[in-house]
Amino acid sequence: MLVIKNLKASINNREILKGLNLKINPGEVHAIMGPNGSGKSTLANVLSGKNGYKISGEVKYLGESLNDIPVEERAQKGIFLAFQYPLEIPGVNTNNFLKTSLNTIKKAKGEKEIDTIAFLELVKEKAKELGIDEKILSRQLNVGFSGGEKKKNEILQMKILDPNLIILDETDSGLDIDALKIISDGVNSSRSEKKSFLVITHYQRLLEYIKPDHVHILSDGKIIKSGTSELALELEKKGYKKLN
Amino acid sequence: MNENFKISPSEINKIKVLNQKDKNFRLESLKLFNQQGFPTRNHEDWKFSDINQIFSKNFKNLESFKNEIKPKSINFIKEFDHNYILMVNGKFENSEFKFEDKNKIKIKSYNDSNFSLNNKENSLINLNNALSNNGLFLEVVDNYRFEKAIIIYNVFTDDLKDNLLNNKNKIILGKNSELHTVEYNINQSKNKFIYNTTENVILNENASLKTINLQANQNEGFFYKFSKGKMKSNSNYSSFIFSSGPKFNKIDAEFDLEGENCDCNIKSALFINRDKHQEIKTKINHLVPNCKSYQKIKSVVDAEGKGVYQGKIYVKDIAQKTNAYQLSKALLLSENSEFNSKPELEIYADDVKCSHGSTSGNVDENSIHYLMTRGLSKKQAVQLLVNGFLNEIIGDIKSNSVRKFIENKIEIQIHGY
Repeated sequence: MLVIKNLKASINNREILKGLNLKINPGEVHAIMGPNGSGKSTLANVLSGKNGYKISGEVKYLGESLNDIPVEERAQKGIFLAFQYPLEIPGVNTNNFLKTSLNTIKKAKGEKEIDTIAFLELVKEKAKELGIDEKILSRQLNVGFSGGEKKKNEILQMKILDPNLIILDETDSGLDIDALKIISDGVNSSRSEKKSFLVITHYQRLLEYIKPDHVHILSDGKIIKSGTSELALELEKKGYKKLN
Repeated sequence: MNENFKISPSEINKIKVLNQKDKNFRLESLKLFNQQGFPTRNHEDWKFSDINQIFSKNFKNLESFKNEIKPKSINFIKEFDHNYILMVNGKFENSEFKFEDKNKIKIKSYNDSNFSLNNKENSLINLNNALSNNGLFLEVVDNYRFEKAIIIYNVFTDDLKDNLLNNKNKIILGKNSELHTVEYNINQSKNKFIYNTTENVILNENASLKTINLQANQNEGFFYKFSKGKMKSNSNYSSFIFSSGPKFNKIDAEFDLEGENCDCNIKSALFINRDKHQEIKTKINHLVPNCKSYQKIKSVVDAEGKGVYQGKIYVKDIAQKTNAYQLSKALLLSENSEFNSKPELEIYADDVKCSHGSTSGNVDENSIHYLMTRGLSKKQAVQLLVNGFLNEIIGDIKSNSVRKFIENKIEIQIHGY
């Protein structure tokens, strides 16, 4: 699904990713843990195609190099980033936005666009699964949403857009236990042989709910240790410093 | 000023004047205009819109009258029931009040020289006083509330070229009456022309006027509208201005709040692309206590476009408990886009609540990125953000059918960007 070789990324002449290697197979869930400033969010941004980074190395998605692929095409090809801080977009109705997004992706895939009635049914079903109050979907995108509602809205978008590679950037931050459980259930029910997940997190807590196949420790722009979910538990006990 | 823009007194002979007094008033007004010329940037009210320079650049000759022709077929609004008034090149043609008690409405061609706004400062008003004829006069009697809105189809015919049209309208609402108008501009000309219009609005006690001005189709027209309002106690004025089409559009509104407990609202959404120039200028005069005024202007400027907001709130010494608010927000889409804002407060009373604010900035890159990670192209993302930015104004229109109609018109403009 995703192969990253010797990925380096710098911004404003500061190198943040310093030669990162990672391979994710279809159906796998990988977790990346690391202290503040280790480059976790930069990795998420770079994979999403965000402008402003100077990049070297290779990122291949489904066998194709992503190096020159712009942000929207990555999304259209099935890469999804759930943001750590979803942006508030004033004046844009959440449902209208979701429909535009879904139809743009469908169009790019050469699929038939969805009509309003079918779309609203789809949203209703997915929102119910995530315990999202339908009323917020007729409000402006993320405007006035609570922290939990914003994160749930990201997972709702993931469910509706149905991507192949899902990057969750600190989706657990700012969530209470109930919201964490709902979101994790939302992710777990989407797991399949065709989908891969890259879960970026500070804490082991999330990984109790979303069980990863592999855990990687990111430190100073490199993966310094990889293992199974046991590694996350070990990390929780010892802290990041002792792992070095 | 360009000598070509001097207007010969013989032009007034082409107007069917009411009487000698009318003729003298017109001659005097024209003389004043010819002395003043079109306003330049040296004039504070035209600081950011040097119309003399703009006209000199765009016109060699100006012809003030032309033969009357019928407009090409007009796409009347079908989306919602409405009454209508048809204006062609600034002249009142006909009207239909299908949904109303016709005895309650007085409508005719407006020809009244008592409407004297002779003005040392504003030469366009003098020009208008000299040359306007056959505008619209509309009066609603006391205690009559309109069932449906009036659409004022303001049609400009396709033969207009280098013309200078002057029009004058007057709207009077009796006590406790209520009216909703939509001024819908349809420009069939592909050429440049000037439309100089003056509007006089009188709202008697407890009257309510809601008005929407829509200038949506792309055109080469140069529009100036001076709107003078007088509000009696407990009256309510609410104006929405949506402009995205004309090459030049300046709306200049001056409202006197003369009776207590008036409420004066001006909201505007402007989309300014190419090399267009648009300005909203307001002056709200709080002359008595306990009145409210509210202004919110949102502008999106792209390419070489230029937007201006000059808003003044004047509060007289006796106008205690005034509540006045004004806010201008502009979104600049290109390095060459320009927006000028000049908010002014002139307050002589000490127990008032007045606030104002002005911001301008670029589209947030992080928001664009967020939308692009959901598959939208950069252009789509910017369009969505622009739409969202202007929706804050459009969303305030209470009637669903009217709001949807306006939303569509604006969206078409934004999507053409």
